[in-house]
Amino acid sequence: MNPLDAPQDRRTALTWLIRGFLSLWALGAAALGAAFLKAPESERRGEQGRVRCGSLSTLPVGDARLVRHGAQPLFVVRTSATEVVALSAVCTHMRCIIEWNRDTRTFLCPCHAGAFDRSGNVLSGPPKRALAQYPAEIRADEIVVRT
Amino acid sequence: MMRRLLDWLEARFNLTEMFSLLTSFGLFPAEVDSRRPVREALDEALRAPLPSYARWPRILGVLSFILFGFVALTGLLLMFYYQPTASDAFASVTMIVRDVNFGWFVHQTHRWGAQVLLVILILRLLRFFFQGLYAPPREAIWVVAVLALLVAAHADLTGRLLPWDARGYWTTVRAMELVSLLPGLGPLCAALAGGTDLDSLVLTRFYVLHTTILPVLLFVLFYLHFSSVRRVGLSALPEPGRSGRAALKVQVYNLLILTVVIFGGLITLASLLPEPFGVPADPFATPPGARPPWYLWAAHGLVESFPALVPRPLRGLFLEAILAATILLPFLDRASGRSARGRQMVTAAGAAALLIGLILAVVGYRLEGGP
Amino acid sequence: MIATPVLLLALVAAGPGPMPGQAPRSAEMCGVCHSEVRVTFEASVHAVEGIRCSSCHGGDPSATTVAAAHRGDFRGVPRRRDTPALCASCHADIARMRPYNLPTDQLALYQTSRHGRRLAEGDDRVAVCTDCHGAHDIRRRSDPQSRVFPANIPATCARCHADAALMARYGLKASAFDDYSKSVHGKAFLVKGDRSAPECTRCHGSHGATPPGVGDVDKVCGQCHATTRAFFVQGPHMAAMQAAGLPECASCHDHHQVQAAGPALLDTACLKCHDQDSDQVRLAQTFKTLFAGAAEEIDKARALVDQAAAVPFYVEDYRARLEEARTSLTESYPAMHALEVTPVRDLTAQARGIAREVESEVEAKLKGLGWRRVGLLVFWFYLLLTVAVLARFRRRAAQEPR
Repeated sequence: MNPLDAPQDRRTALTWLIRGFLSLWALGAAALGAAFLKAPESERRGEQGRVRCGSLSTLPVGDARLVRHGAQPLFVVRTSATEVVALSAVCTHMRCIIEWNRDTRTFLCPCHAGAFDRSGNVLSGPPKRALAQYPAEIRADEIVVRT
Repeated sequence: MMRRLLDWLEARFNLTEMFSLLTSFGLFPAEVDSRRPVREALDEALRAPLPSYARWPRILGVLSFILFGFVALTGLLLMFYYQPTASDAFASVTMIVRDVNFGWFVHQTHRWGAQVLLVILILRLLRFFFQGLYAPPREAIWVVAVLALLVAAHADLTGRLLPWDARGYWTTVRAMELVSLLPGLGPLCAALAGGTDLDSLVLTRFYVLHTTILPVLLFVLFYLHFSSVRRVGLSALPEPGRSGRAALKVQVYNLLILTVVIFGGLITLASLLPEPFGVPADPFATPPGARPPWYLWAAHGLVESFPALVPRPLRGLFLEAILAATILLPFLDRASGRSARGRQMVTAAGAAALLIGLILAVVGYRLEGGP
Repeated sequence: MIATPVLLLALVAAGPGPMPGQAPRSAEMCGVCHSEVRVTFEASVHAVEGIRCSSCHGGDPSATTVAAAHRGDFRGVPRRRDTPALCASCHADIARMRPYNLPTDQLALYQTSRHGRRLAEGDDRVAVCTDCHGAHDIRRRSDPQSRVFPANIPATCARCHADAALMARYGLKASAFDDYSKSVHGKAFLVKGDRSAPECTRCHGSHGATPPGVGDVDKVCGQCHATTRAFFVQGPHMAAMQAAGLPECASCHDHHQVQAAGPALLDTACLKCHDQDSDQVRLAQTFKTLFAGAAEEIDKARALVDQAAAVPFYVEDYRARLEEARTSLTESYPAMHALEVTPVRDLTAQARGIAREVESEVEAKLKGLGWRRVGLLVFWFYLLLTVAVLARFRRRAAQEPR
């Protein structure tokens, strides 16, 4: 016996079952559309060169923090209570990643002992150019650097 | 309950007029009288035998419209995130494909849908040609079909530039080089595009063309096609048409099955063959193998196959002549349908042209160093 | 010397003796006969500072005949062995040189150099001031046309030191310039224009030119390669090489033809002194294995990251971590010079560890893509079911009577 010719009540149930099954298409499309239209979190978008570098208050005055940013990491140096300098952490000699020395308040490159001061100027060693500097802003206690 | 809702709406809107939009685009195979309430009009329409659009090979027309709708819908979704300037386009597409939920899915189905649409439009043209379906009074259908293919190809071309990735950028450069060879049309296209150097201005124009002007044109062409079909009738009735609701149901189910299968095909293509993510466009670095899009390979091969003494504008003129001949085919071939012999000759010529076109496409592909 | 008729040129004699900055140019007649030399000289730095022909050559610059000009304290062309003293008569005078802020120790340094000592022994084929600085064409060191402009120094030294016949007299090879041009220092300096790379004078000195001896080589190289030197000094090679009279860095890395050092050097350099199956060579192989292992791991991770980027996935953090791994590996190369396995093992293990972490995370992400296939399969199942249902409905509708 053809289930589609079944008595009325079973047929109604089956009809609704089939309708539900088919309407999954519409539901799926709607769910997909809604998921698509939900914008991604604002951290992920606008990678047009804005890097978040952590909070200002947790960085002591005169200290520096390394911020990972792909193959061009940077240091943010807190020069005063309200000012921050953002420097490239890539040595201008042979592109090793430099390190911050908290005691001497200078940067040292582990590869050929290039030394830079807090503003990125070369103190000694083979590097000939100062570290690249980026504009940095403080917004609501967060340091934001534009690369 | 549905009935009461319908009655309520009927008293306030001309529902039949709205329904006749479906007819206008081939989704409903009969004309409805918009002066009558919708249910009456439908009953009357269904009393006569329904021509069946929704069977092979006539289904290519409705199929292309459904695909167009699908591509337009995914394109609309993409418009929510895309930014049409040279500095932001690539980053916005990166975001779509990487960060937005199902972004890669919408992007790939949009792209594959466009390619399948172009293939369907080409198949339609081939069918029209080999079955001689351009004899009077069907000339308009042929012309509209050719124009639809051209507009769809332009839409695909403008779309390729939008991600501002290296491959898309250089594909567009090659295509523009080819188009600029056409005397008259070439400079016109260049002027419309905003110049021959692809920069942010051109990108924005391509965006406007791709999202607004060309889809509207295509929409209008679809309407003209179905309008003409309604006037001149379907080319042949394979079987006596059924009438009544049952016949409609058969058509609707045909369309649904078709839509579902096409959708499945697109999703498969999008999942199994996604286009690998590219690098940003660099106007000063040409990636190896930068060639025009696939539908231009034959033209590309043709243009480069001329002996060197033929000046390039002349080659462009030749290309333009072929284009004109294609559009004006019904007016050039007056003998079609009149004699079997004439028909045979035209078919043979067409087959030969197709073969030559395929060979030229291979030549065109290999110009930039193919396998 | 052909006596040229006197032309009505505005030449005024300079005062007697070298008094810079005072004599008007028109006081001289020397250029009437020595016209090419005069043209060259006028373009040099000495002419700008008012040194005249008579300052070095003596004679009477206002005379109009050869005999009158070449009279008195006329010295003619100074002899090579007198040249250093002649130049030093101004350039070692502190009072004279102070306005120019030029050093005054050149003569003292020169006298300690090999060139100076041999000159004192009577050999005047060695370099004197004019060989490097020129005579009439002396320019400031900062002038790119100067022979002692940094970019031109290797060519200046090569004028003698690439002359095989001349060098053979002293038992020296003439290959230094060639070797240097092929070296990593030479390519950086001469081809890339990298001024932080050394040229001849950076290692040999300029006026006090002496090749660094055993016990000093490591100091010379260590001026730039400070980290490497710090490790080398801790290791056993330092003392052993000094005792054996072997030049420290140059023993493995060569003097002039220094190539970019890589793990491949460990295969060849150690065998110069050690036996094939000695502990030392085994240690070298251990280092090589550690380096190669870390480098391989980083490359593998990088390839995976590129693959993920093509999907695309967000890979900036992974790239950052691989940079850290690369830095650790780069730090391990100087550490090797202490010939202790532990620091090298630690650094390369650090590099490998980071690379492995990145690899496993990226692999997990790429595997996640496999879920798309599963989803596709489920979807097709659903789709076929839908088509079956629709087809059933269609058939039923088609069977209905018209």
